[in-house]
Amino acid sequence: MSVPDYMQCAEDHQTVLVVVQPVGIVPEDQFFKIYKRIASVSQVSIRDSQRLLYIRYRHHYLPENNEWGDFQTHRKVVGLIAVTTCGSSKEWPQTSERFHGQKEVYGSTLYDSRLLVFGLQGEIAEQQRTDVAFYLNFDECPDVEKRVEDFVESIFIVLESKRLDRATDKSGDKIPLLCVPFEKKDFVGLDTDSRHYKKRCQGRMRKHVGDLCLQAGMLQDALVHYHMAVELLRGVNDFLWLGAALEGLCSASVIFHYPGGTAGKTAGRKPNISQPADAGKRHRPGAQEVLIDPGALTSNGISADTSTEIGRAKNCLSPEDIIEKYKEAISYYGKYKNAGVIELEACVKAVRVLAIQKRAMEASEFLQNAVYINLGQLSEEEKIQRYSILSELYDLIGFHRKSAFFKRVAAMQCVAPTIPEPGWRACYKLLLETLPGYSLSLDPKDFNKGTHRGWAAVQMRLLHELVYASRRMGNPGLSVRHLSFLLQTMLDFLSDQEKKEVTQSLENYTSKCPGGMEVITLPDGLKLPPAWTTCDRLLLSLCFMSTIAAQPNPDIYHYDKIVFFFFLGLFYLNFFKLMCWCAYLFLDFQWVQGDVCEVQLMVYNPMPYELRVENMGLLTSGVEFESLPAALSLPAESGLYPVTLVGVPRTAGNITVNGYHTSVFGVTSDCLLESLPGVKTGGCLVEVIPSLPRLQLSTSLPRSAHTPQPMSKEELSSTVSVQLFNGETQQLTITLENIGTEDIETLELTSKTVTTKEKVFGEFLSWELEEALSHLPLKPGQSVTLTVNIKVKLDFSGQENLLQDLNDDGISVTGLPISSPLRQVLKPRAETKPVSSESGKAEYNHIKTLEAVLNFKYSGGAGKVEGYYRDLSLGVHVDVEPSVFFTRVSTLPATSTRQCHLLLDIFNSTEHELTVNAKNNQDLVLHASECQR
Amino acid sequence: MAVCIAVIAKENYPLYIRSVPTQNELKFHYTVHTSLDVVEEKISAVGKAMADQRELYLGLLYPTEDYKVYGYVTNSKVKFVIVVDSSNTSLRDNEIRSMFRKLHNSFTDVMCNPFYNPGDPIQSKAFDGIVSGMMVQPS
Repeated sequence: MSVPDYMQCAEDHQTVLVVVQPVGIVPEDQFFKIYKRIASVSQVSIRDSQRLLYIRYRHHYLPENNEWGDFQTHRKVVGLIAVTTCGSSKEWPQTSERFHGQKEVYGSTLYDSRLLVFGLQGEIAEQQRTDVAFYLNFDECPDVEKRVEDFVESIFIVLESKRLDRATDKSGDKIPLLCVPFEKKDFVGLDTDSRHYKKRCQGRMRKHVGDLCLQAGMLQDALVHYHMAVELLRGVNDFLWLGAALEGLCSASVIFHYPGGTAGKTAGRKPNISQPADAGKRHRPGAQEVLIDPGALTSNGISADTSTEIGRAKNCLSPEDIIEKYKEAISYYGKYKNAGVIELEACVKAVRVLAIQKRAMEASEFLQNAVYINLGQLSEEEKIQRYSILSELYDLIGFHRKSAFFKRVAAMQCVAPTIPEPGWRACYKLLLETLPGYSLSLDPKDFNKGTHRGWAAVQMRLLHELVYASRRMGNPGLSVRHLSFLLQTMLDFLSDQEKKEVTQSLENYTSKCPGGMEVITLPDGLKLPPAWTTCDRLLLSLCFMSTIAAQPNPDIYHYDKIVFFFFLGLFYLNFFKLMCWCAYLFLDFQWVQGDVCEVQLMVYNPMPYELRVENMGLLTSGVEFESLPAALSLPAESGLYPVTLVGVPRTAGNITVNGYHTSVFGVTSDCLLESLPGVKTGGCLVEVIPSLPRLQLSTSLPRSAHTPQPMSKEELSSTVSVQLFNGETQQLTITLENIGTEDIETLELTSKTVTTKEKVFGEFLSWELEEALSHLPLKPGQSVTLTVNIKVKLDFSGQENLLQDLNDDGISVTGLPISSPLRQVLKPRAETKPVSSESGKAEYNHIKTLEAVLNFKYSGGAGKVEGYYRDLSLGVHVDVEPSVFFTRVSTLPATSTRQCHLLLDIFNSTEHELTVNAKNNQDLVLHASECQR
Repeated sequence: MAVCIAVIAKENYPLYIRSVPTQNELKFHYTVHTSLDVVEEKISAVGKAMADQRELYLGLLYPTEDYKVYGYVTNSKVKFVIVVDSSNTSLRDNEIRSMFRKLHNSFTDVMCNPFYNPGDPIQSKAFDGIVSGMMVQPS
């Protein structure tokens, strides 16, 4: 006996074994249909004896195991039901022959047998035979169950007669010695007359009777017999059988205590409402009967006197005792190498009982023991079976981790190198079953709750195995999914080298099978949601940016671009955790239909090498949106790295930016904002307004990077800068080109001088708009020019230090102090000068700046109807240099002592001639770069 | 001396795990992971009423062919697991106990560190030192 039946449980001791087998050619599905129907008759209540007979059906049973039938009668095949097909009466003799041949196999133990013949018609089928039933076909056999019941009853009759026969065996000293197969040769030549031998025979027979009683539904009798057997066998140190007697005792007690069965759902008993309630009642009186009527015991003639010595009240073991006795029995079995299977099965049975008693610790001890039972050379398949059953039992007692461990071992065994045809499919299936034990969920959503916590090393191993198994299974899609999941969830635990390896293999797989977004459903119903790739980890923050359309309300000062930052799922820095809360969006701008708009994302590359992200685009809902995918390459271990995604809304309305899609390592994934950790918003709503025209502006003057101070760069589309001498006028030609698709219908121009402390005389910027307006509406592609005059008139006078210089100068040269009234005279004079500059010798390059913003407001097309317009601003930056310097100031005494001549050295720094006007209308012509007095 | 020492958080994920033959670390991960079943069973076996007087030391969790696994649970349900070589018979129960006590003391120190975030992996050098002292010195 080498193959253990791992499904055994204590109640099986109560059952009689019936083998159902096909004979000849029987279609498998049909056979199992019939088998199922036969097996549904698992308990039969015997008509006149109020007893229940339990039947265990097997469609496959090793005759080798049958040989242990004397040891434990439930291992004995007592019934055979053969199922066969028979097309014509000609085949009948042959079929009948086969049936008898089949009977021979189990012949030694068989009580009765039946043959179910399908398909035979005619004469033979008309015969009424008890052991053969004829049916037309597999579908029309309504009385199969009835037949089986009759059959079981006939078995019962034989069983009962055997029981009575054994129990009342008067032949005294002629009790045959029952033995197990491997014992047979040990007893050759043994003195059969010794007391010891006799006692041994008696004990074994007692135990056998106990088994029969149990099978025949006489629980209390069985208990009594087992007790006696235990006493007898203990006396003669017949350990193997003592173990069996103890186990029998346990089984009977278990059946008594747990009428619901211990096997769980695998072999659950038919719910019989009356039975459990009755069981106690019926058996208890039964027990008393037995005890009251010692005749029943004495009549068997083996050893009537010992039976009375057995503690009557303790016929049935208490739950604690059951375990004790199981332990004892198993330790006895353990003495025999050949009884490994019995020991293992006893362990399994005991564990099942303990699981019901919820004593997991003790159960684990039994299991631990079971692990070490050596059954000699096991085939790979048996090993797998053994490990899976261990796993199942561990699961039963609530040791899910241990269960997962053994399941994994079983999975590995499926693909052991010694197996010629590795069962990757089975391996994969078993591996999947281990996931809960390692508290690993394949749904990435479960990993969003902050940092990953778990047995990373173990889980990673498992994921690697899943990847490998699925690949060998020939399902690269699955391995891609698992691999990306591995990368996604275990990133923090992977070393750089491992990251590289994982991504490389991922790329290899995806080259064969692109990863997608669809949920993969496994055959057993488990759904594998798409695992995001690292990209999601990349996304640290997302900021929004848009080219602005315009606002209906011109009063609101607005920017051309508005930038929003909001931080998302910050995995790496604790500091940012706080900021997760500010993920709220308020968008104060619009996108324009047909215009390119941008969304800026801040991404992060946690990989130690450059990462290529392809096909990155926006996911939106609402209006039609054409996303223009971008490909980018992120440097290794980059910090926050801005990525701008662009797209074009095709219709007006509201658009919600929900997320983005990417393709990394060949795995495409969609990432929705709402599924990102820490984000409170499901998307960002942006209004898309009808299309507006667009202007491009170019100027005759060079552009500059200079921006007027109070404004940010974003506000201005461009800035021009020019250097002018004071008083100079420059023409700025602005070319406006319509680069949009809509006509420009209106155009307004305003200017705003950036406030400076300087006083500006006259109009700084002036223009003639009429000419340009006459070109309106401006068709796409057309342009219009506009001339703006820049005129600078600045006051360069009145700087104290200069006057101070002058003052000092005056004193030193003339010795005459310049009184303050004089100084006051000087000032207005300088002011009235159109070109005036008072500059000391030290301040030659004294430059003043003037800045202004030209604001173009234009509109057209559909957007104009709704009152939208677009803004375009041009910054004008003018550096103003003084055109005239007074290089030297001195005084000369005049004719009158009350007056003096003021001598000014004037330097013309311009390249042109200029005229200096003084108050007395004396004109002085200065040539370029000339210095005159 | 121990071959593997692990600290496991209340939620049963490892805070710290170190083993001496580093080449076979995974095996110890499996050993410790499966031992949690027994730990949980042992904790739940002690009734809630008894929780206050509960002995922290859980004793031998289970023996494997090569190793013995011992467990210890603090009042905050943080578990310590020590794996010792089965062949090391000189190790008495009392010594295991004292190892656990030392481990617990050091762990308490780690928890006292204001910069340590409970639930994060333990990276304390002092703790590492104590553990190293209890491990088998690789020869």
